[in-house]
Amino acid sequence: MVGRISRGGSKIVLALQYVRSIPRFALVKAAGGRPEVATSDLSMLVLGDVAEPELPAGDWHRVRPTLSGICGSDLSAISGHVSLYLDPLTSYPFVPGHEVVGQLSDGTRVVVQPALGCTVRGVVPECANCAAGHPGLCENVPIGCLEVGLQTGYCSSTGGGWGEVLVAHRSQLHEVPDSIPDQAAVLLEPLACAIHAALRGGTAAEDTVLVYGAGTIGLLTAAAIKHLAPHRRLLIVAKHPHQREAALSLGVDQVIRPEEVFQRVRFATGARRLQTIGQPVLLGGVDVTFDCVGSTTSLNSAVRLTRPKGKVIAVGMPGEEKVDWTPIWQRELTVMGAYAYGKEEKLDGRQTFDLALELAPQLRLERFTGPLFQLGEYKDAISHAMNAGRMGSVKIAFDLRGLSN
Amino acid sequence: MGRPGAVIEIDRTSPPTLFHFGEGVRLERLPLGSRVLYPPDPLDAIAHPERAIRRALANPLEEDSLQSLLRANMKLTIAFDDLSLPLPPMAAPDIRQLIMEEVIELAAEAGVTDIELIAANSLHRRMTADEIRHIVGDRIFSTFYPDKLYNHDAEDPEGNLLIGTTAAGEEVTLNRRAVESDLVVYVNITLVPMDGGHKSMATGLGSYRSVRPHHNVKTLLHSRSYMHPPDSALHDACTRQGQLIEDTVRVFHIETSVNNNAFPGIAGFMQKRETDWTAGDQASYLAIKQMTDLAPPSIKRSIFHSMRAPYGLTGVWAGQVDAVHAKALEGCRKQMAVTVEGQTDILTMGLPYLGPYNVNSILNPVLVVCLGLGYLFNLYKNKPVVREGGVVIMAHPCRYEFDQVHHPSYIDFYDEVLADTKDPHQIETKYEKRFAEDPWYRQLYRKSHAYHGVHPFYAWYWAAHALQYVGDVIIVGGERETVHRLGFKCATTLEDALEMAEQTVGRHPSISHLRTPPLFLADVI
Amino acid sequence: MRDRPWYSGELGPARLAHTTGVLISDLRQLQAGFRWDRPRPWQWPEAESGLADGPTDLGWARTEPVRTIRLLIQRGLSGPFTRAMAHPKVEGAEWITGLDRPAILASNHSSHADTSLLLYALPDRARERTVVAAAADYWYRRPFLGRVISLWLNTFPFSRTGGASEVLHRSSQLLKGGWNLLVYPEGSRSPDGRLQAFKPGVGHLATQTRSPVVPMHVRGSRRLMPRGRSIPLPAPVTIKIGKPLYPGRGEGSREFTVRVEEAVRDLAGGKEQGDWIARWRAGAPYRRLTEGDLRTGFGPASAPPS
Repeated sequence: MVGRISRGGSKIVLALQYVRSIPRFALVKAAGGRPEVATSDLSMLVLGDVAEPELPAGDWHRVRPTLSGICGSDLSAISGHVSLYLDPLTSYPFVPGHEVVGQLSDGTRVVVQPALGCTVRGVVPECANCAAGHPGLCENVPIGCLEVGLQTGYCSSTGGGWGEVLVAHRSQLHEVPDSIPDQAAVLLEPLACAIHAALRGGTAAEDTVLVYGAGTIGLLTAAAIKHLAPHRRLLIVAKHPHQREAALSLGVDQVIRPEEVFQRVRFATGARRLQTIGQPVLLGGVDVTFDCVGSTTSLNSAVRLTRPKGKVIAVGMPGEEKVDWTPIWQRELTVMGAYAYGKEEKLDGRQTFDLALELAPQLRLERFTGPLFQLGEYKDAISHAMNAGRMGSVKIAFDLRGLSN
Repeated sequence: MGRPGAVIEIDRTSPPTLFHFGEGVRLERLPLGSRVLYPPDPLDAIAHPERAIRRALANPLEEDSLQSLLRANMKLTIAFDDLSLPLPPMAAPDIRQLIMEEVIELAAEAGVTDIELIAANSLHRRMTADEIRHIVGDRIFSTFYPDKLYNHDAEDPEGNLLIGTTAAGEEVTLNRRAVESDLVVYVNITLVPMDGGHKSMATGLGSYRSVRPHHNVKTLLHSRSYMHPPDSALHDACTRQGQLIEDTVRVFHIETSVNNNAFPGIAGFMQKRETDWTAGDQASYLAIKQMTDLAPPSIKRSIFHSMRAPYGLTGVWAGQVDAVHAKALEGCRKQMAVTVEGQTDILTMGLPYLGPYNVNSILNPVLVVCLGLGYLFNLYKNKPVVREGGVVIMAHPCRYEFDQVHHPSYIDFYDEVLADTKDPHQIETKYEKRFAEDPWYRQLYRKSHAYHGVHPFYAWYWAAHALQYVGDVIIVGGERETVHRLGFKCATTLEDALEMAEQTVGRHPSISHLRTPPLFLADVI
Repeated sequence: MRDRPWYSGELGPARLAHTTGVLISDLRQLQAGFRWDRPRPWQWPEAESGLADGPTDLGWARTEPVRTIRLLIQRGLSGPFTRAMAHPKVEGAEWITGLDRPAILASNHSSHADTSLLLYALPDRARERTVVAAAADYWYRRPFLGRVISLWLNTFPFSRTGGASEVLHRSSQLLKGGWNLLVYPEGSRSPDGRLQAFKPGVGHLATQTRSPVVPMHVRGSRRLMPRGRSIPLPAPVTIKIGKPLYPGRGEGSREFTVRVEEAVRDLAGGKEQGDWIARWRAGAPYRRLTEGDLRTGFGPASAPPS
């Protein structure tokens, strides 16, 4: 039933693999990450048969993904924008895909929490972060029963969502209730990230909060802030019409176009605005900014739009961006990252994924997923995902339901 | 002596009708039987303005001659109207320059040591040095600028004094220098009947506190219209305030009326009736039309804003405010009055590139409403030209364009306030205070050249009466998104607009076209 | 040529570049060897001995049609150029508008650009009737340069070294002839931008001819074109014109020079010039002189305001 038998005896499955090749990486990067090049035969992506990942230990299960999302971090790896910082934290070749909803062999619908911490790796004793409930910050990433890798989808031992089969530790699996359809469940992993970021922001009830960017992460972060983080007014910067509508439907107070962000934030916060060459300077600004794009523009705007002593949280994965540090220095900003999930101390130490499962039904997340692509159409899928905003989409996903049966 | 204004019906032989279209012009064919309301021809200007001014100063109305009022060691303040008058700005020399030069000459003869000149710009933007120079002329400018010739600052906490409260409870503040002066000479241009009189001092040298009591929705809904002072609650309030000012300081008021020679020769066709167009007029129409069709907005704007109007002085009076103002209104009426019989279902108008608040600047969408439904709609006496529930059709490109320097609060007004509501009452209660007290707008008003934070509200209130009165507003040639934000309908052509209007007013409507500028006052009987 | 490869350097652009390079170096050699930039050395004495003969007074420069040509040059070329380079801000022009007789214009001097700027600042009518005292030993050492300068700026040679009485005589003749005289009483450009002590010639000239002296001050011309640089770079300039000074009866030339120097210093310090009535009167539009005015001429016709 699962896969075919290869000559060597182990099973082989279909997967989209990411191989490590410096010439190919250089080529894609030189082309500016244009989708035609980034998905060409000379790119790092290879579609084909791979050996089915083996179960590393007893507590592991095979998961057959049904839907698997294309994340911004995947795209930056594919287009060569990714920081080399992540290179030693990744084992090659890997099958990407960490936003996964799938089925166990007994038919249970599960989502995978992709972080590969001490528990998953079977490392004893656990490192301090894992012990504190933050597997995303695990310090034992290179050891244990797996190859090096931060997450499922960046580790050569586990397989990933863009393949027929992946393996996951029992602690990684969260059962999905029937109230959440597959299209919504595929967004649970980003939602968990968003919830973690929203709680990490540490907003206060009197705060004006700005979410910069209205892609998947931006919208979900806004939703998470709306429901879980205290705030007075929630603003979001959205570029495209469908993003504006989506943001409004999530209960955001005001949607701002990127070109008018300084004008609007100035008004919203009663700040003073000083005009100069290039971006203006605000004296004052929002209390907390969540940057959900991770681009040079968004980060530079974020640090100028946040009031002195305010906080900037980088949620979207930034690459090597050129950011003017002067406002950070002069405004005594707190700049922090928000990555992954774990135990949320702010909410009685509950697991982020449980919170996401709880919050998901009221957000009607399924409307954000689509269109779906077959694995064979990966070139179209990735090209579409790179232009998701312009194409009127939020989350593009691979539909793997047709593969096995 | 030119012809009086006229109402002319469109028949088969009529030429097409001129519509102003922002920084551009169009010829449109109105349906047969439509009426076109034409302004009177320009009155003859006084040949020797200096002499007339000298005579007026020597023989004031209900007041001693200026010469006898001036003493050596007195504090003299001269206040004058800012660049919102006249429109377009007057070709040099400006009337105000001529008057002020005479006044200053008298003051110099009397040996007045302490003299200051203040532009009474109220909550309007500060004028630049060049704009002041254009109004006062080189000689006054080089003698007094910048220490003794400056803009009034309505937000200077030290520079404004509360001088009392009227019987109706309106607070009155006045520029400190004016209060402390022994004599204030106010130099005024009465371009339309709304200007002048007590409104000059009470508003021009007032502050938000003293302007608020009459620049509000309630007062403006009861000013029908504010272009006809006897029917205007706005002017009643200003008069109450002005009388209080007269009790506090001695005011020597000088008012002038000008003819309606609003366009220089090259654009002379704009103030001629189409039937009178010569081949030359047609050629210059054609040239201007081609230019405005091709040129980008910024270039068109700089060309249009460099036009100076060859206004001619038709009367000058000096003395006590009320006596002078009565004469000035009479002078104004002579130039502007047009008798119109009966109201109409549909009123069409072409909006020009210029309103009072965008001299050397952009007529942004909020100002489009202010100009069309505020100023032009209200140019009536007795009752509006359009019937209640009728339709107003305005032609203007209505682009999303704002001047960042002059109109910063307009941008926020458009994007924040109009996105929420268009109802003047709601806007007033919900947003006005916040804009008026925003520290940034205050700073820009005082230090940069921005209109006061509350000014876009006044622009909108100006149209409150029209918004309540008319059934529908259609903007021809406007940018769709912008027009919808303003709460109006958008049409591509005049024919479409008339078609749409018929759905509101019924089949076979009566149509009137306001052929303006030049401005005129429709006396509807 | 056909058989030569493209890289031989004998075809196309390479050849052209080579030829041009040779031409330029030949020209340089000639220029240096034969000293094109100055008059032939064997005919001229050393600079220090300078001006053995009295310089001509270049009367042609103040006659037609030269005046019209100068007007065209100044209106069409130097005026717009000055405006573009310096955006000059002029304060107090009314003091010159109001003058009813020729005056000595005394200004600080820190740059070659000063003359252009000062002329720019003058009202049109005054500019056309202004001659500029130019250092004879500097500008008139080379006849061609002297002529160009005279044509362009209406200068006349003014000796810094000797022959004071003759130069003063010539200057007073010009003043009596109805010309305003622009002088730099410091004598030369200030090395550091500070005002140097005034030479007493200006006071002498004023007391002799009983002409008013208009103090003027240029700020910023050092940034425009400091001493030692020959190409101007854009910089904002402010030109202030002060209230005219009249030599008092019995006032010595040295005392008066001190007064002029003080007035220029006051201008530099931004001191208010006169009360508003004086400024207002000074700014009155030009009134054509009547016969009577001319007859009383250059005596104290209208009592000078003290």
